[in-house]
Amino acid sequence: MSKMASEDKMQSNGLSAWFGSKQVLKDINLTIKANSVTAIIGPSGCGKSTLIRCFNRMHELTPNAKIEGKVLLDGENIYADHVDPVLIRRRVGMVFQKPNPFPTMSIYDNVAAGLKLTGVKKGKNLDDIVRQSLEKAHLWDEVKDDLKKSGTSISGGQQQRLCIARAIALQPEVILMDEPCSALDPIATAKIEELIVSLKRDYTVVVVTHNMQQAARVSDFTAFLYLGQLVEYGETTSVFEKPKSELTEKYITGKFG
Amino acid sequence: MKSLSRLLDVGLEQLTALVYRMGEVAEKTIDISIKGFMEGKDVTREVRELSDFLVPRTVEIEDKAFELIVKYQPVASDLRIINSYMKIAYDFERYVRYAWDISFTHKKLGLNNCAAWGSIEQLMEKVSEMVNKSVKALKHHDVELAKTLAETEKEVDEIFFNYIDQLAASTMETKRAMCNLLVARFLERIADHTTYIAEAIVYIDTGEKITLR
Repeated sequence: MSKMASEDKMQSNGLSAWFGSKQVLKDINLTIKANSVTAIIGPSGCGKSTLIRCFNRMHELTPNAKIEGKVLLDGENIYADHVDPVLIRRRVGMVFQKPNPFPTMSIYDNVAAGLKLTGVKKGKNLDDIVRQSLEKAHLWDEVKDDLKKSGTSISGGQQQRLCIARAIALQPEVILMDEPCSALDPIATAKIEELIVSLKRDYTVVVVTHNMQQAARVSDFTAFLYLGQLVEYGETTSVFEKPKSELTEKYITGKFG
Repeated sequence: MKSLSRLLDVGLEQLTALVYRMGEVAEKTIDISIKGFMEGKDVTREVRELSDFLVPRTVEIEDKAFELIVKYQPVASDLRIINSYMKIAYDFERYVRYAWDISFTHKKLGLNNCAAWGSIEQLMEKVSEMVNKSVKALKHHDVELAKTLAETEKEVDEIFFNYIDQLAASTMETKRAMCNLLVARFLERIADHTTYIAEAIVYIDTGEKITLR
């Protein structure tokens, strides 16, 4: 945990979410500490992915989806009327389960794509950001001689780090990751995990994972969700050594799931 | 919610059976050594045999615990049990070591020179009761029973320190004084280990690391 981890970066206050008439999140009150890694764990369908999609206003992109409550980013409600969701998604980036580089673009262009959309012109500045983003994603050394190659020509693990570089390029403050290693082999997973831990120096990271050991390895804080409710939240070591809730105990020890 | 049987449970059952068996043997060994001392009998051979059985069990428990950690990466109460059983196994090993020290000291200084003196019998009764409670509390994961050992341990300490003063003031023969003093010290150390076991039992149940001394 970094020194800054005591500061609150995001908060959900009374957050509930629905898909049509089906409520998937129920009154979630959760604080995400700055410059830390927070793992969201829980069985399939408990609302983990929905929760992080509410953190950058992606949930509302689904037809018939709605939310109630507040999500604060640096104390400001991201759902306030005057807030531009596009700007929120820039400040709060997302990395998905399956690596999804733009298939027709080169490695370089995958990283630069978002920047170009925001008006950054070709040139040294763009080159520098692309390089820094790839370095921060621990990918530069592996692709620096192949920047013109297709983003889909590299391995799955490299593609996932490319997606992380693409998110980093937009200089977000928070990076949300939705099961970022579930499609990767153990070696690629280990690299992503190392990357997650190193990212917290500059960013706040929230990672959804089904892998208990991964949550224990990479996160400073862990939140356990069950049937749309936040059952337990605390420092990861404490949650995995002596969970307060019997439900958490049963889930993390594999007695149900 | 449906409970699933876990592969880890089989290993935990084996580990538990090993630790419980160690507890039974350790308690028996202490009883034999105490009885031998009180009755003036040489029990070193019996104590040695039990010790030879028990000491390798500590390694066996450590190996089993590591196997479970490597295979299943246990967390929460599973991890607390494995961690605590490794510690408790060591405490049982110490029980037996002090039982051996009692019987060996008794023999070394001469069975006829070591007649029990003063509060040593009271110490033996208290410690024997503590050992019994520690094993019972472990088997039933009885936190309340485990916690009662803290009070008895204080009583043992008080008896022991008073006993030193009494021995120092006595004009007893050197060998008898040495024998009683050493045995009293070994008993006091056994009492300490009963509280370590009690602390482990509390940790298993609550996750809290407390000190009972």
